[in-house]
Amino acid sequence: MTPIVELVNVWKSYDGVQALKGLNLEVWRGEIFGLLGPNGAGKTTTLKIIVGLLRMDRGLVRVNGVDISEEPYEYKRIIGYVPESVSLPDYLTVEEFLIYSGKIRGLSEGKIRERMNYFIKLFDLEGKRRSLIISLSRGMRQKVAVASALLHDPDLLILDEPFIGIDPAGQHVLKELFNERVKGGKTVFISTHMLDTAERLCDRVAIIHKGQNVASGDLKNLQQISRAGENATLEEVFLKLTEEAREQLFEEEPIKRRGGFLSLFGRRGP
Amino acid sequence: MRVSIILALYRFKVKAFLGALRASKASVALLLIYSLGLLPSIFGFSLIISNAVREGGASIELYIEVLASVTSLFMFFAVLSALRGYVAFEHEQSFVFTAPITPREFLVAGIFADFTSSLIFTHPIFLLYGITVHSLSLPAPSALLMLISILTFTFMLFLLKISLSILKALYRGGLVNALISVAAILLMLPAASLLVNLPFRYSLLPYPSSFLAKILVGMVYGINDLPLNLAGLVLYFLASVLLFHIFSGKNFFPAATYMPLISPFDTSMRVQTLKLQRSISMFSKMGRFLTLSLESRSLLGFLMRKEIIRMIREGSLFTIILFYVIISFVVAATSSGQAQGPPPALFLVFFVGIYSLIIPLMLVSNWRLSDLENLWVPLTSGVDMRIIARAILYDFILLSSAVPTAIILVLSAIYSISPLMPLTIIVSTSMIGCSVNLYIMVKFLGRGRRGTPSLLVGWVSMLLSALLLSPVYILIITATYLGLEWALIGFSAVILAYSTLMARFFSRKIEKEISRVEI
Repeated sequence: MTPIVELVNVWKSYDGVQALKGLNLEVWRGEIFGLLGPNGAGKTTTLKIIVGLLRMDRGLVRVNGVDISEEPYEYKRIIGYVPESVSLPDYLTVEEFLIYSGKIRGLSEGKIRERMNYFIKLFDLEGKRRSLIISLSRGMRQKVAVASALLHDPDLLILDEPFIGIDPAGQHVLKELFNERVKGGKTVFISTHMLDTAERLCDRVAIIHKGQNVASGDLKNLQQISRAGENATLEEVFLKLTEEAREQLFEEEPIKRRGGFLSLFGRRGP
Repeated sequence: MRVSIILALYRFKVKAFLGALRASKASVALLLIYSLGLLPSIFGFSLIISNAVREGGASIELYIEVLASVTSLFMFFAVLSALRGYVAFEHEQSFVFTAPITPREFLVAGIFADFTSSLIFTHPIFLLYGITVHSLSLPAPSALLMLISILTFTFMLFLLKISLSILKALYRGGLVNALISVAAILLMLPAASLLVNLPFRYSLLPYPSSFLAKILVGMVYGINDLPLNLAGLVLYFLASVLLFHIFSGKNFFPAATYMPLISPFDTSMRVQTLKLQRSISMFSKMGRFLTLSLESRSLLGFLMRKEIIRMIREGSLFTIILFYVIISFVVAATSSGQAQGPPPALFLVFFVGIYSLIIPLMLVSNWRLSDLENLWVPLTSGVDMRIIARAILYDFILLSSAVPTAIILVLSAIYSISPLMPLTIIVSTSMIGCSVNLYIMVKFLGRGRRGTPSLLVGWVSMLLSALLLSPVYILIITATYLGLEWALIGFSAVILAYSTLMARFFSRKIEKEISRVEI
């Protein structure tokens, strides 16, 4: 069986900053996969490359077995994406936006109506159906974005920090929805900072640090890799692995780092 | 007052203002284009002034009135802006107002920082001053005194604006509003004497702008009432210093209102987006007659409808209508002032054509502000991005040509002139202007160029549009001078064919670039 998402040696830099350094990752069908990492680890960059909002410098990304550099459009039909900072057309109503999302994905009129009504009810947006998006709270906007991503019932749902700004009831609905989708053979790929949620929700996770995959697997695998003990929580495992990665990075590049630091003051190290 | 604190605040404020400029190398080059682009106008304007002075014959009092009106306009805006109260940036509220810094230290640093920042855009004025002084061969002491007077007036404006803003922030009553409004109206009232004969004129009133105008005109023409006017200006300056001293001693920090940092180089678009959101809140109430429904058959038609809805609800359509209504009034007013009746067709063409160039820039800028960040929706959907690009461009062309077409038809009917030339110009400007502006905007969203300020991107777009439109103007003017109806029709056909080709060329480029946009 091929993974639904596969990243092989992916590199990406912005303005001289190396965001991803040969990242390798595999996400399997029918699982909830969590991408974890400290701030600036490259989580959002990874997701944006997969959904086609950013182009990698080099490497290979396959979605559903398709090389996205070779075929950059068609594979998107099976994905639904919700970004971290959701930007929506403020000038449209909730209903108009969902119609727009459905139309550009080529859904039929009946399908759009049916799915739109379902998600409006599920996310408790009935009273806001004809409200302009500009009038919605952050949590409601997030719900609208999730509804839009699910409208075409994608095989792969990719969400960047999906729980931020959503109230506890909304979070519960989302978690239930993810579990239901996975039971139906679909895949959910999330990035999150909420380690306790990730521990309870995800089948497998990958911990990335400075653009590299430090470790991936289920909690048991990670406990073994990190040698944190079999009762260690995901948080403990995460802290141990990222600390080790930081130390290793410092050992690998000490002269370069010190040189860079000293050069700020106009002199170089010995 | 601690000088070190003031210096640190000054540096911080200037850096905050210029921050986005420093982030992009292209911005510096484009700023240079801005300066160079203004050079011909500056030389031309200084030539007009020098010639007017040398030839003589004009009324010196009229020069004083015009100059005083212009400087009063600056005062008017400075005074009126105080109605908002004292406005500080959000980052100043969080990091500066919570530090042990006195209001006076903050304000003094602010005045010098504002002056420095404004030089980025106002430096052509100083160039104009230099060229004019040189061409008039004014003696160095006179030139220096003129410069000092201008700077004194400028700093007086800064001090007055700040003092009134603090007054408004601390005492939010209607009386303060009334006081500021009356002062603003009184400042501009004598300007009416330029149009009608009034007993009160700037030259007769002891306004600071009158003193400045008399000093500047007096220096050029060698009039000897300099000490009196100089004393008047200095007295106003000292009064504004006193006002500043009184109000800067008050703790206005808790009474200040806050807004995000507005820097013309701020490419985060946060500020402009906030403004546009306010506009959406206002116009969307009126723009609900057109909705996005499921019934649309073709995807292109559906997307075009969505873009039209956006332009209605964000206020772009309203702005275009307002813009052309104002132009129509100007044309009508100019025509009524002419003894020979209707405006010449060439004047109408020139007027409409020149100003129509602004509309595509405005439409594209608004699209960038309101919809660029939303491109993630189509970009991740798998939809053919070429259709998205086409829908945006077609709507821009449609909207930017439909409103002026209606206005031109009305004006042509009123003045009984042929609408062919103006309409050809409008359609041509819409096609070339919209496609060029959208292409440049999308191009500057690419890697390494995204930090370029939109203001400067707009400048490049205008320049390229104007260059590509120059053959259109050459043909129109040639046809007008030939005065043959058949030539006009033939040339119009050639112009439309040329414009269509240009629009298609840039449309293809936009379609290619838009799918490469990284968000």
